[in-house]
Amino acid sequence: MMPFITRNAGLDIAIPTAPPAPGVRRDLLTDEAALVPQRAERLRLDMLAAEGALLPQGAPVARLRDHPEVVLTAPMAARLARVRLGPGRQLVELLFFHEPQAGRHVFDTAAARSGETAAIRALLQGTGLWRLIRSRPFGQMPRVAEQPAAVFVMASDTRPHAPDPRVILEGRGAALDRGLAALGRLTEGPVFLCQGRGAALAGPGAAEGRLQLLRCGTLHPQGLAGFRIHHHHPATPGAPVWEIHAEDVADLGDLLITGHLPGLRTVSVAGDALSESRLLRCQPGANLRGLCQGATVPGWHQVLSGSALDGAEATWLGLRDRQVTVRDTPRAGPRAHWFARALSRAARPLPIIPTAALDQALGSLLPAMALVRALSAGDDETFSRLGGLSLLEEDLALADYVTGASPRLSGLLRAALDRIAAEEGL
Amino acid sequence: MIRGLWDRETVAALLLICLMPLALTWLWYGGIEAAARLALALVISGIWHLIFMLARAQPPSLAGALTALAVAMLAPEELGLARLVLGITFGSVAAELVFGGWGRNVVNPATVTLAFLGFGFPAAPWPELVLPVAWAAIPGAVLGVALGVLPGRILAGAGLAAGAAYAAGQGTWPAGLAPVLPMAGVVLVLLVCDPVASAATRPGRWLNGLLYGALVVLFATKWQGAAPAQIAVSAALFTSLAAPLLDEAAITLWRARRRKHLG
Repeated sequence: MMPFITRNAGLDIAIPTAPPAPGVRRDLLTDEAALVPQRAERLRLDMLAAEGALLPQGAPVARLRDHPEVVLTAPMAARLARVRLGPGRQLVELLFFHEPQAGRHVFDTAAARSGETAAIRALLQGTGLWRLIRSRPFGQMPRVAEQPAAVFVMASDTRPHAPDPRVILEGRGAALDRGLAALGRLTEGPVFLCQGRGAALAGPGAAEGRLQLLRCGTLHPQGLAGFRIHHHHPATPGAPVWEIHAEDVADLGDLLITGHLPGLRTVSVAGDALSESRLLRCQPGANLRGLCQGATVPGWHQVLSGSALDGAEATWLGLRDRQVTVRDTPRAGPRAHWFARALSRAARPLPIIPTAALDQALGSLLPAMALVRALSAGDDETFSRLGGLSLLEEDLALADYVTGASPRLSGLLRAALDRIAAEEGL
Repeated sequence: MIRGLWDRETVAALLLICLMPLALTWLWYGGIEAAARLALALVISGIWHLIFMLARAQPPSLAGALTALAVAMLAPEELGLARLVLGITFGSVAAELVFGGWGRNVVNPATVTLAFLGFGFPAAPWPELVLPVAWAAIPGAVLGVALGVLPGRILAGAGLAAGAAYAAGQGTWPAGLAPVLPMAGVVLVLLVCDPVASAATRPGRWLNGLLYGALVVLFATKWQGAAPAQIAVSAALFTSLAAPLLDEAAITLWRARRRKHLG
């Protein structure tokens, strides 16, 4: 036994939310959707469609200037309403208006269906699915020719009010198997399928027998990819590890058979500023106001893409987010006394005290306080020795919430990763 | 951003609540004299926290009250006001506040104060605790472990060391150990289990507790003429100094096992 392992260490965070809407899941396409860059993502584009063009769902819209293989595709049948590019043709926003009559784009998948590795890679890059894969360390889209040391397919999500992956994957077993097989072609290492309790979502024979089933605990953060990767196959700059959601893998499986890119993603809309919480299927990059339309209660509120722990205020659904949180924001109270404000503004932030709560917030999987100290001190060597390279911001979001850390640990982690990436010359 | 509970001041407040049974029992038996010592320690500790808040914008902490309680309970008696003030000042400032306050210190400020007073003024007699005070430490320790603010592994490690000493003596306590045990228990809860100044990894905490227990047994059996409080405080000081080393050893061990496990 490793001394830091406990099977289901974590916390049950009670984030208030509205009662669920009746019915299981419904499809809702918002009138507007947009393609926007991730935080600190620089995408230099060559446009393939002009402003005002009518685009079938899945049709190529733009490709990367530096890597023309990688294509961005239309999230729905739509008119390309506005193209906003910044200096150096960097993506700022591509805005789409829903036009249902535009139909669906058909991809040629014959070569990929035969199992040819280069064709599968080209298909992923040509359909925009490539951008949904996250490569660790550093958490960006994989490089064009990158070969992962392992692939983690996440069919578990323990964030508060996350959609249940079993509901998402209901009836999509065959598609998931096909997607896993195709994904397995891109790596020579193991393919891990992380899932919670219940029947196995894929047999051990999938992905040429290299599939390993990992059972995650039910408490947050056990269902996050970061801790699974840290524990089973740590990522290093020389041996990157990929992470992708099981729904995207099932989409790949369907794409291989039909040639259509399945354009719907399951999203849970929850939070205490709603009259009902919803489980929806919507297009990628959907307008968040559209997703919670008719369900918000009057008053001031904030719409986050992502969970209450790691979400960020946004207009459009984030690239890999499957949660929308609508939260009451208290109106600013009366101004504090100038003396109190002067003291609190000048004050140094409070340090973190090692408690059982902090340990559980990191899943009891690594020496929590040593990691916190390495992050606060900017000690990148100790940070990578402790396996920090497998982690991303979302993995420390729970520790941030629990300890009320300031500065936030997830911010310190990002700074450490950026420093290490710069040193590696990436 | 939403925030949870477990920031520094929550932990300090919970620790203070956990130590309440101990403090109240001690005040009950100590009477007006104990209350005066506690008040003095609280005032001096509070003044230094205030000075550091105004001079260096360092937020004051409830942990200052924890330090004051430990010093009032365990400081040598008949020191006089000036020496007590000097000792508390030295401990609070040099062991805690100059590092940036509770949470950034290396050694518990109360331990430093007590060691400073004990070794600086060896003629002053160490205090004795009545037995009910030691019993009162137990519910506090249980509450602290249940809330996760006191490291249970340190308590268990120290208990293990005591058990080993008991077994080595074939069912009796080694000579000199029995009278030290109540004081060693109180010091364990008050000083050694301080979450900041003790080891923070799991194996490190076991080692931390074991080391404290072993040092208490060693001092009790080999250190002629030492008072129980002197023995326990010295053991607490050495343990606290060794804590980073224990953590380092635990992390090295963890990494070695991880390498083996991951191939």
